[in-house]
Amino acid sequence: MDARARLLLQQRLAVSRTVAWLVIGGLVAFYGHVQLGLRSRFRERALEQAVKNRAMPAPRGIIYDRNGHKLVDNRRALHLVIQREDIPTDATAIADVAVALELDPDLLRRKIAFARNAPGNRMVILQDNLDEAAVAKAELLRARFPFLTIDVAPRRTYLGSDLAGHALGYVGEVSPDQIEKDPKRFQSGEIIGQAGFEAGRNELLKGLDGSRRILVNNWGREVALYGMLEPKPGTSVYTTLDAGVQQVLKEAFGEEKGAAVVLDLRDGGILGLYSAPSLDPNIFLDRKGRAQTGVMWNDPARPMLNRVTQGLYAPGSTFKLFMALAALDAGKLRPDEVINCPGSFRFGNRSFRCEHVDGGVSLVPAIARSCNVFFYNLGARLDIDDIYKAAERYGLTLPTGIDLPHEKGSRIPNREYKRRVNKTNPANQKWFPGETISVAIGQGDVGLTPIGLARFYAMLATKGKLLTPHLLMGTRDDQTGRVIPAALPDPKDVGLNPQWQAVLEEGLYRVVTEGTAKSARIQGLDMVGKTGTAQVRAQADKSAYSKFEKRFKDHAWFAGYAPRENPQIAFAVIMENAGFGATNAAPVAKKVCEYWFQQRPTKPLPPPTERLEDALHLNLPTQEAPPVDRPAQAPPATPPPPATVPPPESIPPRKETP
Amino acid sequence: MKERLRGLDPGLLLPLVALMFMGILTLYSAGRGTPLANLWVKQVLYSFIGLAAMVYLAGTSHRRIFQWALPVYGLGIALLVVVLLFGKSIAGTKGWLSIAGFGLQPSELMKWMTLLMVAQRLGSRPFHLLGARDLLEAGLLVLFPMLLVFAQPDTGVALTYTPIFLLLPLLRGIRFRWVALGLAVGLAGGSLAWSFYFKPYQKERILTFLNPERDPKKHGYQVTQSKIAVGAGGIFGQGFMSGSQTQLNYLPVKTTDFAFSVWAEERGFLGVLAALTLFGLLLRRLLLIAAEARHGAGTYFAYGCACIFGAHILVNAGMQVGMLPTTGIPLPFFTYGGSSTLAFLLALGVALNIHNHAKVR
Repeated sequence: MDARARLLLQQRLAVSRTVAWLVIGGLVAFYGHVQLGLRSRFRERALEQAVKNRAMPAPRGIIYDRNGHKLVDNRRALHLVIQREDIPTDATAIADVAVALELDPDLLRRKIAFARNAPGNRMVILQDNLDEAAVAKAELLRARFPFLTIDVAPRRTYLGSDLAGHALGYVGEVSPDQIEKDPKRFQSGEIIGQAGFEAGRNELLKGLDGSRRILVNNWGREVALYGMLEPKPGTSVYTTLDAGVQQVLKEAFGEEKGAAVVLDLRDGGILGLYSAPSLDPNIFLDRKGRAQTGVMWNDPARPMLNRVTQGLYAPGSTFKLFMALAALDAGKLRPDEVINCPGSFRFGNRSFRCEHVDGGVSLVPAIARSCNVFFYNLGARLDIDDIYKAAERYGLTLPTGIDLPHEKGSRIPNREYKRRVNKTNPANQKWFPGETISVAIGQGDVGLTPIGLARFYAMLATKGKLLTPHLLMGTRDDQTGRVIPAALPDPKDVGLNPQWQAVLEEGLYRVVTEGTAKSARIQGLDMVGKTGTAQVRAQADKSAYSKFEKRFKDHAWFAGYAPRENPQIAFAVIMENAGFGATNAAPVAKKVCEYWFQQRPTKPLPPPTERLEDALHLNLPTQEAPPVDRPAQAPPATPPPPATVPPPESIPPRKETP
Repeated sequence: MKERLRGLDPGLLLPLVALMFMGILTLYSAGRGTPLANLWVKQVLYSFIGLAAMVYLAGTSHRRIFQWALPVYGLGIALLVVVLLFGKSIAGTKGWLSIAGFGLQPSELMKWMTLLMVAQRLGSRPFHLLGARDLLEAGLLVLFPMLLVFAQPDTGVALTYTPIFLLLPLLRGIRFRWVALGLAVGLAGGSLAWSFYFKPYQKERILTFLNPERDPKKHGYQVTQSKIAVGAGGIFGQGFMSGSQTQLNYLPVKTTDFAFSVWAEERGFLGVLAALTLFGLLLRRLLLIAAEARHGAGTYFAYGCACIFGAHILVNAGMQVGMLPTTGIPLPFFTYGGSSTLAFLLALGVALNIHNHAKVR
């Protein structure tokens, strides 16, 4: 190689050394910019993705019955969720997840949009209460969708299953519709009471969510815990329910449809509330169960309906007590006035039938024998608007104010009502006096809920106090297990004339001792009440009735209170399509009274344990020897017969075993 | 033996050993707590094998090395053909031969064999007498194996063959119009490639390079995460085995493509400065060897060697911080890999041999 060429090569190599250093220098400059200039920004982003705030859902309050038996408890459960900070922005990813989980993509998109804009850092629950198979599937999905997390959260469990389904209600995730309706009250992703007591007392039962500050790796696994704000569990409460009464009601209804409610006359606390067919709230907790609920909503037996507060039934003869009261108040009836019953009643050109020919009857035997003609006469003497005013006075027109959602008010017709109902049909807006005759025996347009009727009978029993039925007895002091009684609205005094009360009570007493409900008489206990039969389909020919399909048979009613002296409980029972009130509804009330006044004081339920069913099955006999006989045969050493019913106890829940 | 060892150039060996040490530390930290925890041991093994081969090459007969150029080149071509026919597919690329349980990537070795062949061909005559025909022949010698690698298809590795073309400005100097022409050809080729050759994922990568935030959960994820790692390192770094991006696995492919981000996060800007300075010293040393070489072939090889190293360093270190698009081009001594480590060390062995030859005479 000649020298000149060699020199040229050396020069070019020298240039390339410079170029090499320029390349290195350029890289150093770029790294300097990123590591020195943008350091704080990138450090922040590193923390942002690795340090997460995770919501810790607070467990809801535990629900006890009045004696400390646990009705609703919490368990730990796994949910498949998207944490607030991990919500994907990519619409296709959301759609893919929806497809993979068999969710409705539109609903999921809406849910995620809500969660993104909602305050707090609640997660989006995609699947709740995973079982083992679902956990395995979720783990697989997380490989495809790294923004998914499996989170531990408390879940509800209803220990008595369908024992008090309608009273307790159930919980579920708040729906976008519910948030839209009440954005201040609900947060996205929140588990709220969706029905029953859970919904009625949601604010009390729900706690305050906590949060945790954790370090997570790229797979969303927690690596370190930086800090924690403990969730504040919801308030545990005692309900006024008595597990034993519920069990009696459940067994009494069996396969029948109907409803029953038992009120504590001291304060309006509900000792028993049962709607048949009952429902098991546990099925609303997982996806498989919720899939069934669509069927349940459409079930002709209407298991989703709480018949006690939402079922409007014609009260039938149980309404006669109110009619008598209205007539006495209005001065249209003297307590000892005798009205002749020839077996039927002519009004205008219509004839109204009576079951039997009673001859001359006064009010007391008319109630005892449920004489229709007597009350047809009262209907003819009273104006419908006066009846409505009386109903207003005795609390029959408004909802009772029970702490359950969606309670229906009773329906008492008047002229204004008829105009409103027939708004589109002006020809049918006029009230005919003949309609008042039907109202007088609790038919026609009259509709009462069992709770409304029970409250009316409670008003009779308490000599004019209008109670507010309620399920909340008080909150639970978690240290001692003691109850801290809840504040209750004062009962309203409706100013019931004591003279009328005495006459009506005598009538109710005769119903059980010698009248229509003779068979429901309890030895040693003065239970009083009135039977009723609400027609489902009018029958012209009585002989055809026995051939009716079950669903066209009459509803059987029984409402009353016990004992006659110093009454403690009031009740209303309806058994749908069961026929005559005395033979079907009255025995339910009889069983409740037997349990409450005879069995419970002598042989109470065992002290509460974790397992509610143990307590119930131990004590509730299948009634081989009717307890009716027991007081008569009891030796003097045994507890006093229930005629002298023990004084109202001061609501002492037994101390819970740890 | 003593003779051989004396020929080892400390100016090249010291930065090399320092870089290898850094690389192994990085691998150790990156693999911690993952299924790849033992990767650093393998890398140490490869490094020792490579160092031994390097020392052997450094001391072997200078002439014989270049005599072997043609058979070695032929062997390389044969291997590339074999790998196309019988190779093992990894991530969609048919580039590995499985030999006794070890994966061999012929394309990594072949770029050095090609360089050796080209250097030998061009060095056979004084450079000012080299005609267009010689340059064309050299170009074809590079293009042929490159096409075989493209066919695997492994665009990343194939592109690492292109620094060999940087021999051209060394031989012919460089004129502004050449640069302009090169840019024009590059742009035209690029747009043609965009329309006809690139696969969707490659297009995504380029779009993502232009704007990494456009889809941070998918293709931009890697660069976004490596930038966060590098940036969070700051001046002094998060400390050895304490980089949150690395240890919490936010950093993707941290033992291979993005290994340098691990170093940058845990050792900070000072660590990066040290590593890049060592790489600079290595390049400088290679270029000095090119200058002192006794004959053309040695100069061309050492120079080409510097070009290939430089390209690897620029492209890999540049992509960590989003300076250049993401490719699978390894960073010498940081990126885990038996074939590439071995190949880098063999190339340095040849460079040392050239240095040795120049000094002995």
